[in-house]
Amino acid sequence: MNLRVVGASLVVSLKSFYREKTTMFFTTTFPILLILVFGTIFMEQDKVRFDLCVQDLDQTETSAEIAKALALSGRFKLTRVDPAIDATQYARDNNVNLVLIIPKDYEKSYMQYVQFDDPGAFVNITYVYDPSSSSVITKMQLLNLAFAKMNQGLSAKSPFVRTSEISIHTKKYRFIDFFIPGIIAMAVMTASLFGSVNVNTELRQKGIIRKLSTTPITRTDWVLSNILYQFLLAVISTTAMLSVSYAVFDVRLQINAWLPLFIILDVFTFVGIGMILTRIVKEAQSAAAAANAIIFPMMFLSGSFFPLEMMPHFLQTFARALPLYYINEGLRASMVFRDNAAALSYSAIIGIVAALVFIVGITATRWEEGI
Amino acid sequence: MTTEVEYVIEVENLTKRYGSLMAVDDISFKVRQGEVFAFLGPNGAGKTTTVEIVETIRRPTSGKVRLLGMDVTKKKRDIVPRIGVLPQGFSSFDRITVRETMQYYSRLFGCRNADIDGLIELVNLKDKAKERYMKLSGGLRQRLGIAIALVNDPEVVFLDEPTTGLDPRARRQVWEVLLGLKKKGKTVFLTTHYMEEAELLADTVAIISKGKIIAMDSLVQLIESNADYLLLTVTLQSVDEKAFEVVGKMGFKPVLNNHRNINVRVERAEDIRKILNAMKEAGVPLLSMDVRKPNLEQIFLKLTGEALHEDTSGGRGAE
Repeated sequence: MNLRVVGASLVVSLKSFYREKTTMFFTTTFPILLILVFGTIFMEQDKVRFDLCVQDLDQTETSAEIAKALALSGRFKLTRVDPAIDATQYARDNNVNLVLIIPKDYEKSYMQYVQFDDPGAFVNITYVYDPSSSSVITKMQLLNLAFAKMNQGLSAKSPFVRTSEISIHTKKYRFIDFFIPGIIAMAVMTASLFGSVNVNTELRQKGIIRKLSTTPITRTDWVLSNILYQFLLAVISTTAMLSVSYAVFDVRLQINAWLPLFIILDVFTFVGIGMILTRIVKEAQSAAAAANAIIFPMMFLSGSFFPLEMMPHFLQTFARALPLYYINEGLRASMVFRDNAAALSYSAIIGIVAALVFIVGITATRWEEGI
Repeated sequence: MTTEVEYVIEVENLTKRYGSLMAVDDISFKVRQGEVFAFLGPNGAGKTTTVEIVETIRRPTSGKVRLLGMDVTKKKRDIVPRIGVLPQGFSSFDRITVRETMQYYSRLFGCRNADIDGLIELVNLKDKAKERYMKLSGGLRQRLGIAIALVNDPEVVFLDEPTTGLDPRARRQVWEVLLGLKKKGKTVFLTTHYMEEAELLADTVAIISKGKIIAMDSLVQLIESNADYLLLTVTLQSVDEKAFEVVGKMGFKPVLNNHRNINVRVERAEDIRKILNAMKEAGVPLLSMDVRKPNLEQIFLKLTGEALHEDTSGGRGAE
């Protein structure tokens, strides 16, 4: 590797980028627009009133109170479900994404908790829900929030109302907090893959790669300068995205050393995949189509926009085979859940993938014109 | 460290095959230090494939190719810093200026003392130094490509079709630059399908057709050894079909050109006298006459039976 050569190539790439105003505009503003559009949609959900089906199996005054409290919160429009009906069947038949079930012994447990001061007493509220519905997670989050408030109001003792169906991860943050790391991972992936594929296919078609192959620059120098260039662009766009997210949506994300690490792994992985695609695809137009064919499944199946829990089981399994999934999860583990152990394991997995793809990418880069 | 070799390029039994297509078919040639060697042939003859193998861009199917005394398939890293290449259809980074492009390539070669201004001046691009590549015309782009090929002060310069696609004025401007290189004593390997280009610049010409070298010699020698006929051009005072008939009846094959010119290919000098006498007797009014040896393009046509190029903007066209 020759740093002088890598540096010179990087400067040429950056100058070309700076002088191509439309590319510069879209590289920095497209992810910001995504954040603003989706962020506003998800923030709007906070103001929306959700339909909520409630099946009260206890049918007592106390159990009626809990339903009343949910209605009074202003976030739910209640529909009562006959206790004699099977809730799952009801949800299926009526296309309902969530039925909240108040258990039969609700009042009894409540009395035990309040009057007899029994800290072991509790009730289990059941959510019968449709995981493929896009709004159900928000609805569950709101319910959890309502129950948490209810528990706080009762006493400082152990919580009386409990729910067991919800993953603890989806409890404590707003959707926008979950959304931003996914968008960062996706924007870096898109820029790296398209950047790598478009630039290299164009340079190859124009014969610039052929000219470069008659100079001392090596394949490794060239690929590294590409990666450095994409990394700098990723830093610029991530900074822009985070600034907008903080300013407009008041996100609460943890920024630490994991962020640049996951970004560089993101860049390595997708510049590498781009290099492989450039080898396979001959024309610039088909290169863009091939890049899209990779980007779209990643975008929608890796949990960039929606939690994986919402997908059918077989798609969840498939998502775990996609590199973007590990970048998404790693960024969320570090930025949202502050879980260093999880971030470490995700970074190890994507690190191995990045290294493999990078090596194959270098090998696949055509420096000589055929054999 | 320069290895002193008489021949800077040595090609022996070079073959390049793409599937069933034989692009280069068992060719051998040598290029001396300091000479301008022209590889002349029509499109698809195998010129670029050959030159790209010599430049280390492509790999041969079989045969030996040595450049500056080194095997091109094994010593790419040692060869590349010592050669300069203008590839066919040269292109560069659209948004980078002439001067920046030169600086970039000089950095790739690690040339700290490259005379970038001198090279820009050599190719007459001084007033375009701050112009971006995308704004340059075809001729200016080719001249930049030549300047880049010289940025590392190479021992051998490869120019693959340096004037293809240029208008006659731009082509002449590029030729001026190439004549400057020739004066400097650079070894130049030139591929072209323009006969004039080879005639103007080359010391040695190799004619390639369908992957094979069919003739190779110095330009003078090549014409001398193949010029076994003369071209008589008779210009008439006015259009006269009779003259055409007279020559045809004598057993020659006249070609009418511009209505008033009759071109006749003759084997012996005395045939010229016979034709002129016959015309005089028939009362054909003659304005002037010209007798020439065939040029390179006519030699090429004779040897291969095919024209050098479809468009005749650069050459005189096959007769």
